[in-house]
Amino acid sequence: MDLFVQLTINGVIAGAIYALIALGFALIFGVTKFFNLAHGAVAVVGGYAAFFFLEHAGLGVLPAAALAVCVAGMVGFALHKTVFLPLRRRQATNLVLLIAALGLLTVIQALIAMFFGSQFHPLSQFAGAQEVYRIAGGAITLVQLIIIISALAVFGLLTLFLKKTKFGKAVKAIGDDEEVAQIVGINTHAIIGYVFFIGSAIAGLGGVLVGFDTGIEPTMGLSLLLKGIIAAIVGGVGSLSGAVLGAFLLGLAENLGIWHISGEWKDAIAFGILIFFLIWRPRGILPR
Amino acid sequence: MEENILEIKRLTKHFGGVHAVQNLSVVFARGAITGIIGPNGSGKTTLVNLLTGMLPMDGGVIVSDGATLRRMRAHEARFYGITRTFQNIRLFEQMTVLDNLLVVLTERRVFASLFERHGAYHLKKAEALLRQVGLWEKHNELALHLSYGQRKLLEIARAIGTDARVFLFDEPFAGLFPEMREIVKRQLEALREQGAAVLLIEHNTELIRQLSDYVVVLDSGKLLAEGKPESVLRRRDVLEAYLGE
Amino acid sequence: MEYVIHLSIVSGIVAILGMSLNLIVGYTGLLSVAHAAFYGIGAYVTAILLAGFGVNFFLALLLGMALAAAVALLIGLVLSRFDDDYYVLASLGLNIIIYSVFLNWNTLTRGPLGIPGISRPELGIGGYRFGLTSNFSFLVLTLLCAVLVYLAARFITRSSFGRVLMAIREDEQALQVFGYRTVYYKLAIFVIGAVMAAVAGALFASYITFIDPTSFMLRESIFMLSVIILGGLANTNGAVAGAVILVVLPELLRFVGLPSNIAAQMRLLLYGLALVLLMIYRPQGLFGKYRL
Repeated sequence: MDLFVQLTINGVIAGAIYALIALGFALIFGVTKFFNLAHGAVAVVGGYAAFFFLEHAGLGVLPAAALAVCVAGMVGFALHKTVFLPLRRRQATNLVLLIAALGLLTVIQALIAMFFGSQFHPLSQFAGAQEVYRIAGGAITLVQLIIIISALAVFGLLTLFLKKTKFGKAVKAIGDDEEVAQIVGINTHAIIGYVFFIGSAIAGLGGVLVGFDTGIEPTMGLSLLLKGIIAAIVGGVGSLSGAVLGAFLLGLAENLGIWHISGEWKDAIAFGILIFFLIWRPRGILPR
Repeated sequence: MEENILEIKRLTKHFGGVHAVQNLSVVFARGAITGIIGPNGSGKTTLVNLLTGMLPMDGGVIVSDGATLRRMRAHEARFYGITRTFQNIRLFEQMTVLDNLLVVLTERRVFASLFERHGAYHLKKAEALLRQVGLWEKHNELALHLSYGQRKLLEIARAIGTDARVFLFDEPFAGLFPEMREIVKRQLEALREQGAAVLLIEHNTELIRQLSDYVVVLDSGKLLAEGKPESVLRRRDVLEAYLGE
Repeated sequence: MEYVIHLSIVSGIVAILGMSLNLIVGYTGLLSVAHAAFYGIGAYVTAILLAGFGVNFFLALLLGMALAAAVALLIGLVLSRFDDDYYVLASLGLNIIIYSVFLNWNTLTRGPLGIPGISRPELGIGGYRFGLTSNFSFLVLTLLCAVLVYLAARFITRSSFGRVLMAIREDEQALQVFGYRTVYYKLAIFVIGAVMAAVAGALFASYITFIDPTSFMLRESIFMLSVIILGGLANTNGAVAGAVILVVLPELLRFVGLPSNIAAQMRLLLYGLALVLLMIYRPQGLFGKYRL
């Protein structure tokens, strides 16, 4: 029974991390309609920016994390400005955008490995000893609790923000039809730029939190990204609540799956779920 | 009845709540051009898509050469001798003009096609078709480099190359210069001469009057009128459907 | 000289991968990033049979090709339900699933430890045995395979079948109306491409004499994609050119004197950068006959 509780807790933690990646991915997909595979790279950027500020700039945990989130957002914005916007301006197909994004992911992971090395860095070393809480026979650390709270908070705030503000209405209009949005006077390029910033900052937060929970390595971008995409598709492409739902389902499925199947098969389980959904329910559980 | 090679009975298609084609029954005769007119959104292109299996039908049947079909899949259209052109021109853009034609002339079976090179026979046929529409000089150009009119002509040549007996032309004259219109007219008349059933979707009533032997008027997916062009085009409800556009 | 031979062998193997992937991506327009899976299947079948059972290389090669064909048929059936970006995503997922089989089926693949002691091919002609142990003789074998794959690719692309592949790439639905059951063509070319990739895998395993799962990760599929996009889609010569460029260019970095771990990352950086820049400035690649 304890094992079951622990696996459930682990599943929720994993789900919260996937949710942070999936939220940004779904937000960006909602307005651009292409699979931004570079989204995983900004999560890594966030993690390593935090590492840099802690290790080399000697900042405290909170300022370092806050700055890192901003850096991730800015990198996402820059990728949009330098690569995706020019491509989209010239009506590049989704495949072209996808390949360019794949290239960017490769480039950013390689650059980070060149500057910081490819070894694993736990960020928790900067945070001191962590408290461990016990719930119904399972254990959860402070960082893991923060991860779950942040994922839910980000989801709540983002949903509220998109619902209540003019910006949110513009985002929705672009998602429905970019051309029409442009015609009615929305500065679509600027809005999409902000969306890239926000989405990437959220992913960056995910990267930072993963760093404090376990650690960072350059190649984690791809795996985080893929889980985020799976979550977003399983939940319902382009819908934020779908992304969060998909993320928690995926996290739970992976972790409870270990109960019977050995842990190394986590990725295979995740992609099995993806393929299953793509075939039988391509629009996900909660379609937009 | 035996001269009818294509007939639809109670054909129905809806998209969500919208009835694109409703209970439509029409007979398309052999050796005749049947003009199909109607305002935008009246279901003309949907009808072509249903007949070529590009959309699944929701009800009714297609009767082709006596066979009653409750469903049609895209790759089966050729088996029933049906072919088409597209209103929005769908060529194989990044292939040469010649290849655009050869692909409808060569082997359909997977394994056999692997061991087939297009021979003199295919080449001769392709050349004849391209000369017919005045595109032979362009045969080595990519389809996407052709002008709008040339692209329409290439699509028509490609349809003719299929040896079909039922030809569905979706606005073949739209946007063409007069000399190209003449080429298209000649092709349509030649097909009628050869005994094919030609369906012509066209907005220009003058062209319909000149070319068609029979006219079918659609409005909101339903049959509004049918008959000889001179009588149908005089009818008040037909004119209203058009003017109301 | 040994170094030149080494680079030529690697170029030959990558060229086979490029030519075969080009049939799928460049000619048929199916953007698969699962090619490393079939490369891996060819390599693992060869490695297991050679190192574990002492089977002759050429028999192992044939069995590897057969297994790759069978798996490609299954994967191709799954993929036939998808288009465009969803195709990419599904193929990516399938590559990762196959990779986790290599990584986790310990009893068969020895997992992350990999399989050492794979022997070089041996030819037995009437009781006289001749091992291709020197790198030069292995180069001859590799080039022979590459030439055969090249000729096969040309044979395919110049047939009516090849024209149909391109038409599928351009407008699959329109082509169906002209009487083609396109799904069979897509399956056929996917299997053919996978079989060729398995040949490359067998050569790789036998040449390096050691394999582990990391050589067949998604990263390698992306590398193969950069090879053909750089060389040019829908051009067999372009795929060969792309292979040689992307194998030789990173080697030049070594002469600049970069430490090896940095050089390895530079390699990745180069592939990634090639993809980004090509998409922005020259989506048809160097010698391409098809623009994405």
